[in-house]
Amino acid sequence: MADQGSAGSVPDFSFVASGPGRSHADAPEQEGPASVPPGNPSVTALWEQFPDGVLRNRVCAGDEDVVYIDPGRVTEILGWLHEMPDQHYDHLADVTAVDYGGGRPIEVVYQLWSIPHRAALRVKCELSLDGLEIDSVTGIWVGADWLEREVYDLFGVTFRGHPDLRRILMPDNYAEGHPLRKDFPLRGRFSRAEQTRRALTQDPEDYYMPGEIGERTPQLVGSGADGGHEVVGSGPGAGGEEDDDGL
Amino acid sequence: MGVDKPGVLGAGTPAFLTTRLDFVVNWARRNSLWPMPFGTACCAIEMMASAASNFDLARFGMERMSFSPRQADVLICAGRVPYKLAPVLRRIWDQMMQPKWCISMGACASSGGVFDVYSMVQGIDTIVPVDVYIPGCPPRPEGLIYGLMMVQEKIRGESLARHGELRAEDPLAVGRPRADDREVADLTGPFGNSTQQNQVSGLVETGAIERPEDRLT
Repeated sequence: MADQGSAGSVPDFSFVASGPGRSHADAPEQEGPASVPPGNPSVTALWEQFPDGVLRNRVCAGDEDVVYIDPGRVTEILGWLHEMPDQHYDHLADVTAVDYGGGRPIEVVYQLWSIPHRAALRVKCELSLDGLEIDSVTGIWVGADWLEREVYDLFGVTFRGHPDLRRILMPDNYAEGHPLRKDFPLRGRFSRAEQTRRALTQDPEDYYMPGEIGERTPQLVGSGADGGHEVVGSGPGAGGEEDDDGL
Repeated sequence: MGVDKPGVLGAGTPAFLTTRLDFVVNWARRNSLWPMPFGTACCAIEMMASAASNFDLARFGMERMSFSPRQADVLICAGRVPYKLAPVLRRIWDQMMQPKWCISMGACASSGGVFDVYSMVQGIDTIVPVDVYIPGCPPRPEGLIYGLMMVQEKIRGESLARHGELRAEDPLAVGRPRADDREVADLTGPFGNSTQQNQVSGLVETGAIERPEDRLT
């Protein structure tokens, strides 16, 4: 994004920098309800309940209802979708994000499923690149924990209020950035030799949660079989400074 | 005393053989190779097939897949290895007893294969020393068996007199890259649609945006 202007002698490929294909993000977006009527009654209910929290909605791929909401009110709106008996979206199928490139906002995507109503709903929040922060929904769905860690790891979106926000797929000492951003180079930012060196300085046991592999549990609270997940001081960087005790 | 008993070639023959120590030791080693299966991807399916009854790896002395590195003789790395798994692979190799051998099975383990990306080790020979590379994506079980037979051939040619030379291992190198920076850079040089990587360590300005041919349109 920062170095688009220095394309130099290459022909005008500026359309490439805007990401693959012509996406809906290029189309002029109108605020408000889509012209295609939503197939999911929850969309209409959202419009009525949060007239200023819902920005617009779309119907994509025939029958997929997508609702764009205000990122600042994500816990309020998603909590409402979770709690109300008419909605009851009790299953958070996925939390992910999309980077359309070209400096456009990163969209955080919540894919919801209501088990009793058999209804799917996709909720999106647009975050500008200089304000990649959003409230965590782990208070609504506990299962959002690792999903939000993955979005944090690969896109760099910070989730406020997340209980244990640290990298989940890339190593803890990964310093090359967030790999699924559009401006991330395919082979990473370091040379292969440096990547190999950094990989081998990792201790594989640091990949585990404290308490998961037995003896290396200095932070474990209590004892016995059911106390294994009560951890104090967990968080970014916790437990990462163990000495290498040899092989 | 031994002459009266039935000998190795029948009654009246001596109950002993003369041979070379190298031959006996190598014969024993190469016919009782226990593989340590390090299967991470589709190559592991072919490795399982070679251990099953149709191909029956046990015919060649690989009687038992040793799922503990301390009882294993040959490490079969079958599949792609991401950088996050590299220290695990290295630790397993360090835990194996001498003498030990290593087979890199398939294109991904040998060179990174199609995964020329930020997360993938470009050939496990930057992590552990490799004796035999098996090409294929994935190799057939015949390919793996042929590779194991090549390891057996390699063992046949080894000599206890040159043991230290063949099996040299630096205890201080545990956890360190097997190859030095220059060697790793040579092994994983840029090719194809790579971004601009330099050959030494450090932060690299790749300029991915400036190379539109890298992008799918």
